[in-house]
Amino acid sequence: MTARSVGAASDPPGRAVTPSFWSRIWTENGPGYLFLLPWFIGFFGLTIAPILSSLYLSFTNFDMLTPPQWVGMDNYVRMFTNDPKFYQSMRVTLLFVAFSVPLKLAFALAVALLLNRGMKGLPIYRAVFYLPSLLGASVAIAVLWRTLFAGDGLVNQGLALIGIQGPAWISNPRYSLWTLVALAVWQFGSPMIIFLAGLRQIPQDVYEAASLEGAGRWRIFWKITLPLLTPVVFFNAIIQTIEGFKSFTPAFIISGGTGNPVNSTLFYTLYLYQEAFAFFRMGYASALAWVLLIIVAVFTGISFLSSRYWVHYDN
Amino acid sequence: MTISLDRRKFLMGSTALAAAGAMGGLTPAQAADVHLRLYWWGGQARADRTNAVSDLFAKANPGFTYDKEFNAFNDYWPKLGTQVAGGNAPDVFQMDYRYIVEYAKRGAVQALDEYIGKGLDLSDFDEDQIEGGRVDGKLYAISLGANSVAMMVNTKAFEDAGVDLPTRDWSYDDYKAKADAFNSKSNGMRLLADGSQGGDPPLENWLRARGKALYTADGKLAFEADDLIEWFKMWDDLRKANVCVGPDDQALDATAAIDTTMITLGKAATTYANSNQLIGFQAVNKNPLTMINFPRPKAGVGGGHYRKPSQFWSVNPKSAHLDESIKYVSFFINDVPSGLILGVERGIPCAKHVRDALAPTLSAPDQLSLNFVSNLGDLLGKLPPSPPAAAGEVATQLNTTAQSIAFGQTTPEDAGAAFIKEAQDILDRAAKKA
Repeated sequence: MTARSVGAASDPPGRAVTPSFWSRIWTENGPGYLFLLPWFIGFFGLTIAPILSSLYLSFTNFDMLTPPQWVGMDNYVRMFTNDPKFYQSMRVTLLFVAFSVPLKLAFALAVALLLNRGMKGLPIYRAVFYLPSLLGASVAIAVLWRTLFAGDGLVNQGLALIGIQGPAWISNPRYSLWTLVALAVWQFGSPMIIFLAGLRQIPQDVYEAASLEGAGRWRIFWKITLPLLTPVVFFNAIIQTIEGFKSFTPAFIISGGTGNPVNSTLFYTLYLYQEAFAFFRMGYASALAWVLLIIVAVFTGISFLSSRYWVHYDN
Repeated sequence: MTISLDRRKFLMGSTALAAAGAMGGLTPAQAADVHLRLYWWGGQARADRTNAVSDLFAKANPGFTYDKEFNAFNDYWPKLGTQVAGGNAPDVFQMDYRYIVEYAKRGAVQALDEYIGKGLDLSDFDEDQIEGGRVDGKLYAISLGANSVAMMVNTKAFEDAGVDLPTRDWSYDDYKAKADAFNSKSNGMRLLADGSQGGDPPLENWLRARGKALYTADGKLAFEADDLIEWFKMWDDLRKANVCVGPDDQALDATAAIDTTMITLGKAATTYANSNQLIGFQAVNKNPLTMINFPRPKAGVGGGHYRKPSQFWSVNPKSAHLDESIKYVSFFINDVPSGLILGVERGIPCAKHVRDALAPTLSAPDQLSLNFVSNLGDLLGKLPPSPPAAAGEVATQLNTTAQSIAFGQTTPEDAGAAFIKEAQDILDRAAKKA
């Protein structure tokens, strides 16, 4: 109480009776904000401030040696009118997302359905199938992939056993992107876990009723399981699409940071990295980052708009 | 007593604080204690040698302490750039021929001319190596060793195939003439790596021997589309005749790291490299290696090679210890015991008295390296001007272009013309920025 009256002493008369708005906020929530302070410092200092400065830098030329020079929309204009590598990296990334996301989700759902049949040792299988996702973004797995799919790697040795002469998967521009898609699909663990949880949520009585009515396995899957699972499919699709656009490590390791052969693995993020840290065009790289943000936002927005036509929330 | 003890503790503590302050660029309380920050790229072998020399210097000059840091070449530049931008660059740092123009033009390295003879001893330093550290007539960097481009040669592969080792006279035609004999016994190994995808050194060497160059002194392209088309056609021909490796194999060498080069992977009997790298290549190659010059464009034509400063020391103009930093650099290049420790790991020492003292102590591969750089003879041309700021990006683009020809996605004619345009665009963009 004493603290309040000290704060109120300088207030105009009439308002002195009730403590001021700010001092009320402080006494009620002050300690709470104090405890939140570390998070606030982190959020504003390490998240908001860098994001805003990257927005500013995207309108400048900045090579890290000299102060940034304001160039207005130049970076964005160049990107859309005079940068073949921008379009190439966009093409590569869209192809990657378009193939890796549906394949990964289909794979994850198939394995989740298998695991959901109440087999023995389920936790072990679940852990084993999840393992690749844990290692997913790691350098070690990308190096392993490189070795597996090299011209004389394990994959081609296996193909040779059945009489097929496999190509150099990694180092041929016709196949290199598909090895990255395969790597992404193999890391189906986290959507699988989420599918599994979703499958557990579907009430058993619906299935019982369906089988009493004589519905076959396929029919049950298409008419009951999948519709009731659509919220989970939707969630996984969005998360995986964003992940797909952000994918960086595998392409970086497998192509040695170059995006080669012939820019066939030049992911958007890899191009952004090259511009920033190989060619020191921080301004241009920041502009690329903001365009990526907008693209991801647009794709997510479209997914949400479309969701009302195919996602069933069964309340 | 207890009070004075506390005071002493307090003094010790404040000295430590002052030293810590010096790291942040503040002036230290005591001039006798100099804390130098050193930064370079390279592996552990280089770090061990550099640390040993720094210890020798500290022994000769009491009061010197160091903050030493090293990094891989590709990681070195983003970090240095960030530190320069933040105004906390190291006192002494390694510089490369490729970046020196950029750093000098931005005032990020100290001009050293006024220190020559006053703290910086260059009395018997090779003139061409001093020249290599100059930008617009001013000396910004001190060469730590001379090297030259060179091809690594797997001697056993040639022996097994019954083909004579390449000599300094071999031209690309000679390699082509020997290819059939070599391939008949080589079990899929080829004579050459694909030099068109080896960055810009093979092209530069070939251009220079033909009287052209990569860049003019003012940083423009010094060759035309026709030169490049001829170069690409030659490699198309070498690929078709199985003289060099195919595109699938060459693409495995994405970063030109020693362990993914064609010679290390066993795909080719030779590989394009630098003379001071023989030690590094031998470390990961089981078969005994030797070194030979890049192939000549035509028999009897030379002048493609040059003695390049393999790397420099540069000094931060904002250093709180400018004089001491320059003293350190001068010691590094002139002190004989230090020279014996450094060996030829950074290239051939440039001070004659150090070189003379070092020569008799060298091992066989080091000797080979010294002799190669010293005896280039008619292969040697004059030092080209330091490349423009965007040279690294142009070289990257050159690789991608050559790769798309090798994979049959474009023709030498189309690619040659397209590349000139792209390279000019890259150079213009960099010039606009400066």
